Amino acid sequence: MLILELSSPKCLGSVKGQRAMLESDKLRLHPGLKQLLTEAIHALARLDADRLEELALSCHALNRELTLFDPERRALLAQQAREAAAEMVVFARVLEATHANLSVMTKVRQLHNERLEYAEPPGRGWTRTESGYGHN
Amino acid sequence: MGTISSALSLITQGLDADQAALNTVANNVANANTTGYTEETPNFQENDPVNIGGVSYGAGVTETGATSARDRVLTERLDQQQQLASASTSRLAALNTLQALFTPDSGSSTSTSGDIGSDLTGFFDSFSSLEANPSDNSLRQDVLSTATTLAGDVSSAASSLNAQRSALDEEASGVASQVNALTGAIAQLNTQIQSTDSSGDAGTLEDQRQQDISQLSQLIGINQVTTEDNGLSITTTSGQLLVSSGSSNQLTTGTVGGVTHFFVGTTDVTSQLAGGGGTLGGYLTARDQDIPSALNSLDTLAYNVSTQVNKLNNAGTDMAGDNKDAGNIFSEPAQVAGSAAAMSVTMTDPNHIAAAGLGEGTGDSSNAAAMANLASQAIVDGQTPTDYYSNFVTTLGSTVSEVQTENTAQTASVTQLQTQSNALSGVNLNDEASAMTTFERSYQAASQVFTILDTIMASVLNLGSQATVS
Repeated sequence: MLILELSSPKCLGSVKGQRAMLESDKLRLHPGLKQLLTEAIHALARLDADRLEELALSCHALNRELTLFDPERRALLAQQAREAAAEMVVFARVLEATHANLSVMTKVRQLHNERLEYAEPPGRGWTRTESGYGHN
Repeated sequence: MGTISSALSLITQGLDADQAALNTVANNVANANTTGYTEETPNFQENDPVNIGGVSYGAGVTETGATSARDRVLTERLDQQQQLASASTSRLAALNTLQALFTPDSGSSTSTSGDIGSDLTGFFDSFSSLEANPSDNSLRQDVLSTATTLAGDVSSAASSLNAQRSALDEEASGVASQVNALTGAIAQLNTQIQSTDSSGDAGTLEDQRQQDISQLSQLIGINQVTTEDNGLSITTTSGQLLVSSGSSNQLTTGTVGGVTHFFVGTTDVTSQLAGGGGTLGGYLTARDQDIPSALNSLDTLAYNVSTQVNKLNNAGTDMAGDNKDAGNIFSEPAQVAGSAAAMSVTMTDPNHIAAAGLGEGTGDSSNAAAMANLASQAIVDGQTPTDYYSNFVTTLGSTVSEVQTENTAQTASVTQLQTQSNALSGVNLNDEASAMTTFERSYQAASQVFTILDTIMASVLNLGSQATVS
């Protein structure tokens, strides 16, 4: 079991920060890294940005506290790290796929906007749902 | 088995692979530049159209807004990822079946193929026991008994592998007719879409075509090329033309080397289909790569154990005090291929076991010792029999794990694209921008999670990085 103690919660002032603190509290009570990674993989698949940002803040908090860990806790965390290696590889692969997916969408949106800006109005008997052409 | 350092190495490779991912993106974006992708078309709900005078009318068909080029590219990207996910799903299912064959069944009272590792140990141990008391008939019987168990489990495993290969072959063969039905339907829809008057709409027909393409993507790896008149050409990922405007090329099958091969025209595209994706790709990879590899390992093991044990028994003295009847314990394999399936015990009389050395009396056990020592000699591809088998099982486990990782990542990617597709369906540009922002936020946050955890893991495992990422 991973035992993390946040000694400086004041650094997380926002609501999101408080939620992240709760996440970190969860880490204190449950096996951490493997579960965290599994959750991150699922959240990324669902594009759950809020959840991912909470997890990122939790990881920041964990990282800050890491220097305060005694050897026993570091050993526990090292054990968790070894057990979570496979999930880390999966996460890397999902992240890689996300990067490719995002790049496709970004470029297509760019092309889409350029077309809206420069294209002739279509003459196929239908109307746009947007109020007009050009910048949006 | 993989270690944390090898896992982190894989992660680094994953990040390096970003460039490869970008190349994939470049191809997709290149497609986006074609007329078919950049032209905006109205979006209609899913009712069948009625064609009057070349113009399609659909009862209840309503325009729900502009569908931009984005949707087609997103759909194509989704299809592409679906092909990969389908391939790894079908391959993973086959690999899991394969792995189960070599997993010991602790609840079974009878020996199975999963017990080959312990069978090997038991067989060589029986010679060690015989070495202590070479004239003991029960110990001699025990040698034949353990040999029979080993040979039975090895040949049973080989039979199961061959049966699994046949089942996969049948499954693969059945995919061809599904592919042909879909490519025929797509060609027909192409004709209908292209013959639609420019003042009419082909929205529903295009939706039908897209559904067929999505189904086709789950079966085989394909590339799509949109033509200017809103037609569509489809090729296999290796470039064999399956659909061109209103015509389709059939995927035909024929038996080559005892298994089904696939042809487009006269060209054998089996190996290309195996690497191309889709369910068929997964079946073919398992049929032509994973199972033959496992069979080859078993054949190598069976061949070397049989020939080495036979060779020693033929060179010793049996209970009759001579070498006359000290023949083969196992059936002598003629070649490596097929050795596992044919492995059996030919010796029936335990007195023919040559425990004594050549020219020695029956009380000698030097030849039994030599046969027991085979367990620790590198007689199978430079490894001991048990090490060879253990490495085979470990390699199989690694392959399963690797494909499982691929499948999880690909399935996540498909889910992600479906999420994005749902978020973008029938929305205006403001909503589209919001969906993109969510996508970007998700990626940024996930990147942070990854980077920080990577640093933490490296730190706690003393891999050289110091923690605290700002």
